[in-house]
Amino acid sequence: MRDVWIAAAAMTRFGRRSESLEDLMADAALEALREADRPPDGLVVTAMDPEEFVGEGNFASHIGTYIGLSHVPGLRVETATSSGAAALYAGLALVASGFHNHVLVVGGEKMTHVSTPRVSEIISRVIDPHERSYGATMPALAGMVARAALAKGLFTEMDMARVAVKNHAHGARNPYAHFQQPVTLEEVMSSRLIADPLRLQHCCPISDGAAAVLLTSDPTGLKLAGMGQGSDYLAIRYRSSLTGFRATQDAAKAAFKMAGFGPERVQVAEIHDAFAPFEILALEDTGLFPPGKATRAMQNGELTLEGRLPVNPSGGLNARGHALAATGLAQVVELVWQLTGRAVGRQVKATVGLAHSIGGMATNNWVTLVEQVA
Amino acid sequence: METIAGSRCPDCGWVVAPPARICPRHPVEMTPAEISGYGSVLSYTTLTVVPEGFKPPLHIAVVELPGGARIFCHGRQTRQLRIGRRVAVEQVDGIFYFASLGIADRVSLFWKRRGAAPERTRDAAKSAVKRFFSVYKNGGTTPAAENSEEKKKG
Repeated sequence: MRDVWIAAAAMTRFGRRSESLEDLMADAALEALREADRPPDGLVVTAMDPEEFVGEGNFASHIGTYIGLSHVPGLRVETATSSGAAALYAGLALVASGFHNHVLVVGGEKMTHVSTPRVSEIISRVIDPHERSYGATMPALAGMVARAALAKGLFTEMDMARVAVKNHAHGARNPYAHFQQPVTLEEVMSSRLIADPLRLQHCCPISDGAAAVLLTSDPTGLKLAGMGQGSDYLAIRYRSSLTGFRATQDAAKAAFKMAGFGPERVQVAEIHDAFAPFEILALEDTGLFPPGKATRAMQNGELTLEGRLPVNPSGGLNARGHALAATGLAQVVELVWQLTGRAVGRQVKATVGLAHSIGGMATNNWVTLVEQVA
Repeated sequence: METIAGSRCPDCGWVVAPPARICPRHPVEMTPAEISGYGSVLSYTTLTVVPEGFKPPLHIAVVELPGGARIFCHGRQTRQLRIGRRVAVEQVDGIFYFASLGIADRVSLFWKRRGAAPERTRDAAKSAVKRFFSVYKNGGTTPAAENSEEKKKG
């Protein structure tokens, strides 16, 4: 298996965008192509549900043609809300195996033109049909996870709010973020209940956006050091634990095994905080903190831009936004910018970064490790 | 007490509800199983933003039944609910409902239990479920509840 390197990384601003999905993806793709200066010989495209959100199918060919790469073999990858990470994994496999030398991975989602109830309904299809038939939505399942974690004493409602405050503070310094305004603890804790105990400000927004990464077999100094996938039952009622995600634990083990180093080397992390308490659970599931230690680290300010392990310097899904299939790639874009000194306004000091992406209610998760090699 | 239809894996013995054709742990066909309709609450939430076809507030709980199967249930409210609390579960018109046995319910159950046959207890629990259900639905007995009564009689 060959080493795989990152030649370029680009993204659009996340948020309510007037451009089409095709144009958002083209903006990210063309910027990555310019930066990489290598014509791709493989293309991996991802959007979670372009059929429903924008009414387009045969999506790899559609985007390939739209961005002038119809001559490049392309395929589409989808694993619900972690589709961006899954596409990166496919790109990694294509380059590592020697099938292709330079693979452009591009993901995007466009949802804000669709009514919120309709967006929720489309996203809810990632949930087990029996559970969905009871009205279970992603916030509902996340609310039950949060409730179980609160009952176990893993964190308090105040801690959940602290995550949102921290990530909004980071997002306020990121020009690519959906929300660029800080919020206060009081604002989070008095925002309206969505799925008790989750409040509006604990939940990520519905965002439009796109991101692209160009992978290559040529050493660039920026190594895709490790990547792992973990899976779990679609139905959360089948799981032995509600307060930790096996899919994250397995993904992290696989990623660190591939990289040949452990969590202690990670200096910056992008975590899938679609719901604020998930950040705390993920910090322990990935092994970045021992069980029961992440909450205290957050309370002590260790996860801020100035802290020991900055978490979600981009603002995370909570503030940078969550453009579904673009998100897993946008996390890696942020790591690339952080490791190469291009994270203007929110720069941290790091040579190894971790990205964590959740598909569905943690049914198909990914952990990615990016390393700046001298 | 009501029984709930589930399925059991002939290999690993795992029981799930509602019945699944194939064991989620490995590709083996499951066999039918009957599960008692009570259990303990694993977690719950109240949705104030609900999907189409539901009215807020929507109370949902995951309940673990005897033998380990977990099901999703609707309920009238979650005010007195706690993780670990025992609840009665009943299936009406294909939908599971949990009834939180409040202090009054439990006291009355206990009081009845002291001098009465076990059947009386079961009936009391069952009627509590029924009462809760009719209140939850629309303040009166619904066709669905009547139908399910019919089925049980027949």
